[in-house]
Amino acid sequence: MFIGAIGCEPLQLKRVGLENSRTLDVYRQHGGYEALKKVLDGMSPEDVIGEVKKSALRGRGGAGFPTGMKWSFVPKDSPKPKYVVCNADESEPGTFKDRFLMERDPHMLIEGMLIAAYALGSRTTYIYTRGEYRYLINILDAAIQEAREAGLVGDRIMGTEFSCEVFTHTGAGAYICGEETALLNSLEGLRGHPRMKPPFPAIAGLYGCPTVVNNVETLTAVPDIIKMGGEAYQKLGTQKSGGTKVWSVSGHVNRPGVYELPMGYEDMEKFIMEDCGGMLGGKQLKAVIPGGSSVYIMPATDIVGKKVKMDYEGLVVAGSMVGSGGFIVMDETVDVFESTKNLTEFYKHESCGWCTPCREGTDWLVKVFKRIAKGEGRPEDAQLLLDLCDNIEGKSFCPLGDAAAWPIQSAIKKFPEDFRRHLMPMATRTAEAVAAD
Amino acid sequence: MTTAESVKVTINGQEFQVQKGAPLIDVCRENGFAIPSFCYYADLALQASCRMCLVRIEKMPKLQTSCTITCTDGMIVTTQSEEIEKAQRGMVEFLLANHPLDCPVCDRGGECELQEMVFDWGGLEERFTERKNYYPEKFLSPIVANDPQRCILCKRCTRVCDEWMGEDAIEAGGRGANTVIGTFGGWLNCSQCGNCIEVCPTGTLLDATYRHQTRPWELERTVSTCTFCSDGCQMSLGSRAGELMRVVARDRYVDGINGEFLCIKGRFAHPFVNHEERLRTPLIRYRKGGKLIPATWDEAIRFTAAKLQEIKDAHGANSIGVVGSPRLTNEANYVLLKFAREVIGTEHYTASEAFSLAPFFKHMTAPLATHKDIRHAKTIVLIGGEPEELQPLTAKQVRQAVRNGGAKLVIINSVPVRLKQQATQFLHVRPGTEDALVLALAGQTDDAMAARKMGVEVGEIEPLRRMIDETQGNVVLMFGGELSTEAQTILAQLPGSIGDEENRRFLFHPLPLFNNSFGVHDVGLMDGKLNATGLLDAAGDTVRALYVAGGLLPAHLQGREQALQNLDFLVVQELFATDTTAHADVVFPAASFAEIDGTYTNNDGLVQRVRQSIPPVHQAKPDWVITSLLADALGIDFNYQMSASAVFREIGEHVPAYQGLRYPLLKDESKPVQAKYQLAGQRAEVADVLAELRQRVERMTGAGDKIMETPEVGHELFKIGTLTGKVPQFHLLAAGNPEPPDVLVSPLYQITIDSGLRRDTAIAGD
Repeated sequence: MFIGAIGCEPLQLKRVGLENSRTLDVYRQHGGYEALKKVLDGMSPEDVIGEVKKSALRGRGGAGFPTGMKWSFVPKDSPKPKYVVCNADESEPGTFKDRFLMERDPHMLIEGMLIAAYALGSRTTYIYTRGEYRYLINILDAAIQEAREAGLVGDRIMGTEFSCEVFTHTGAGAYICGEETALLNSLEGLRGHPRMKPPFPAIAGLYGCPTVVNNVETLTAVPDIIKMGGEAYQKLGTQKSGGTKVWSVSGHVNRPGVYELPMGYEDMEKFIMEDCGGMLGGKQLKAVIPGGSSVYIMPATDIVGKKVKMDYEGLVVAGSMVGSGGFIVMDETVDVFESTKNLTEFYKHESCGWCTPCREGTDWLVKVFKRIAKGEGRPEDAQLLLDLCDNIEGKSFCPLGDAAAWPIQSAIKKFPEDFRRHLMPMATRTAEAVAAD
Repeated sequence: MTTAESVKVTINGQEFQVQKGAPLIDVCRENGFAIPSFCYYADLALQASCRMCLVRIEKMPKLQTSCTITCTDGMIVTTQSEEIEKAQRGMVEFLLANHPLDCPVCDRGGECELQEMVFDWGGLEERFTERKNYYPEKFLSPIVANDPQRCILCKRCTRVCDEWMGEDAIEAGGRGANTVIGTFGGWLNCSQCGNCIEVCPTGTLLDATYRHQTRPWELERTVSTCTFCSDGCQMSLGSRAGELMRVVARDRYVDGINGEFLCIKGRFAHPFVNHEERLRTPLIRYRKGGKLIPATWDEAIRFTAAKLQEIKDAHGANSIGVVGSPRLTNEANYVLLKFAREVIGTEHYTASEAFSLAPFFKHMTAPLATHKDIRHAKTIVLIGGEPEELQPLTAKQVRQAVRNGGAKLVIINSVPVRLKQQATQFLHVRPGTEDALVLALAGQTDDAMAARKMGVEVGEIEPLRRMIDETQGNVVLMFGGELSTEAQTILAQLPGSIGDEENRRFLFHPLPLFNNSFGVHDVGLMDGKLNATGLLDAAGDTVRALYVAGGLLPAHLQGREQALQNLDFLVVQELFATDTTAHADVVFPAASFAEIDGTYTNNDGLVQRVRQSIPPVHQAKPDWVITSLLADALGIDFNYQMSASAVFREIGEHVPAYQGLRYPLLKDESKPVQAKYQLAGQRAEVADVLAELRQRVERMTGAGDKIMETPEVGHELFKIGTLTGKVPQFHLLAAGNPEPPDVLVSPLYQITIDSGLRRDTAIAGD
């Protein structure tokens, strides 16, 4: 497993390889809490937000919303308490970067949260992890305790007027709680259903108070932005996508792992074939899901020789998205019908049941997939699947419906052969198999 | 309410001026653009989950749910297009995927919103050929049946349970396609109002007492007024072949003050109408100590008239007492009064009412609040009373005013009633000391004394006063029978002495116990010389005969069991054989509310129609007809020509508050008419009353235990009375059967009523 940066100095992954990287001592030896000191030593909250805006940092959870703008939506004059919530409900299939960052470098997250809390005038912050990350809570709590003993969390941080608490909380194992409003419901102790927007969390979030919900990687980027300045951070990446991005690479490559790349890394093919050590067993590349299971699947033909730029804009041009950076590589042995069926079962299992299209749609999709897998496919099923996806996409209450529809739509579009094979009448299929024999 | 600014909205190319911030779905529908929806329900929290009400709004990326969009200036909306239709058809297809397509065996068939939606938006053929998810049918309680398969998860039921009833007894469980509506522990532990059944758009929640008995299209539907409490909910009576089958408030059939709200009594306690124990013929007891023997109407009327004439001749007109009932129509009570005054000529007439509102009406200085006013009030002061149990619609309006409207609620009660969950302030007073608060509010005593008598902290009274002072909007003063007549008088004068301000208005909402408590007062039946207990006390002495319509209250008879036996002659009009008829010399079988035309006046002062749904059962006749027949036999023809409308016309001519009212004016239940009550000014004679009240408060011992426990839901609603006793389910609900020890969860044995928490003042209707 590879851990490290390609094409840039490691920022997020600077300390993860060090011995005892979880401890405050190691963190401080390598520049830890300097950014917080810099902020508390003379930056105003507006300065901090200004730097984050300049950095062109975009939310790393999947939607890619500009972080500085999100922060500036929080009303300054609201008499209500304000909250910073870290979304560590990393549940997207193929994504494991946040777990890695929290496991190896928890203080980086704490520092990021404290700076965010300072910028937004918050005194209470929460780290919400998915239920399966329960073991991380111990690591995070130990780090928070360490920081508290060093006067970095709690009352009068570093002897200044700034006081802030960091709390941890685990979900109960629901993908939907990665959606920020469902996360807030869950954090409040309610059923994990998404809330209606507007009002957005920046206006009425946790307990009805202004709240910013940021992904782990977004918050861990903040200390470096403060240290090097927003502009310098932005220059690491592109105009609209500043800085570096951590990718979780899995699948049929020789060196899966956690990769930090500058935004706008020039060629996806080179990334797979060289940086990731090439295809496992020398097999042919068939497809890549670049941003976690919810994004469009890319066939090899869209990658090889196409110089796909790895940033928000570049991937959209190439027909997919950065998403959460869960980079899944598939070789020629993969049946895309089967892999899509697997993903659809995931979405059916995780649909919260709030709205009609997602609840009934995913249930129906899975039933169709299962029927086809049993050999009872019909040629018109491809059209049925596409039509069901169209009825889900854009009509669901929250983006989970879209996320369930996109992989199927792109899979049928890009890999019609894999579907055709399953949808042929049994007699034709047998005849083809005999002929191929 | 503030007047919102008006904005321009373009819908399907037509421009409309609408209120800014109005829900788009309402605006579209009001202007004639049909928008399908399931989960949208006016005045409940938005859900936006059914995704049926999709529209296209210019400059917005996706189709939008019109229920969540509020109108802004320049909004351009399309409600019909190929894209929208495809999406809506897609949603219906999704909803039907796991929904059984066996409407002919579903009890909701014929009045099912999903079924109707499928006629408009469904496909011609089903593309879903897979196995449907299956859940077995079950009972959530003796009166709520549940078929989870049919659920489309619009969650109207969970929202009404939470927002209307404050009970949270029903909630979604499971996730995704496995989500089902369920209860905590597997059975419904609640007041069994059945509103979840009412708002359910499909056959998921069904009335277990009615289902599979008939089909909705076989029912004859009649809009009428509920007979169980003073709220006067409008409801639709469904009858078939002279039998009352069910009572609903579904908005497709009726659109009254209550919307689709009804309580357990209104909805389920109607089987008394066709009960086999209903009196079948007139009965005569020819000699004291003998049996009641069936007789013809002619004979019974002749016999009664002769007896009354005999007693009048022997002992004078005042020896005959006439007792009406706050449960009867205005028509019945008016004709009774006319009979007493003009035919008998007696001064002894009254109604079997629990407490008189006469002092309140005489001195009231602010208008009555309607239920709509309560919903939009800003401050609500509830002194005594227990609307949750005795006026459930009022309780629902109060709860919504607080929860959805941000109103402030102050409760003054000796019992920690459940409504206190919504209260801003709860003054837990000693039983019977509510008067002291009225005295303190009137500024006629120092807070310390009042607080000492009530058993509360001194500082608890001032915030209440301040809250009233600072209110911007309506202040509703509610009170129950706990207040003495003096306190009623002083409270009625209070708004006049405080005075309205530009943004503050006082409104009254008394909480009498019966469906026509206002009516008996209005027609003047409560103005007689003696009240019901007075008449009973004089029985056998100055009062020799009683003519009772509608029965006496247990509270009146308590301790006076002998009184009825002391009478020379007792005539009773009743539905059933009761403790009163046991002593009667003549019993007339009266027609129930479902068999007559008439009017009730509710606690808003709204005069609402009661309409005949079925012909009178057996030989029953409407109360006012019986009285008229008696009058006729005694030589005076009231000349009503068997028409209730003619009686009401006369009421409209003789009762000041009902001036000019006629049945045609009352025909639309969605536009109820309020009686015109005269407001009193500041009255000088109040000084005496005040002195009396002060003495009364000073006499209070300042002792007496507060009840510390919140009564179980339904401790009054489930009370078995003459009428509710005819409903088998009520006996089950009221724990009429012992709980079998080996059954962990049984929907049939669930509710325990703590009768120790019932108060004497609260005599529930029925």
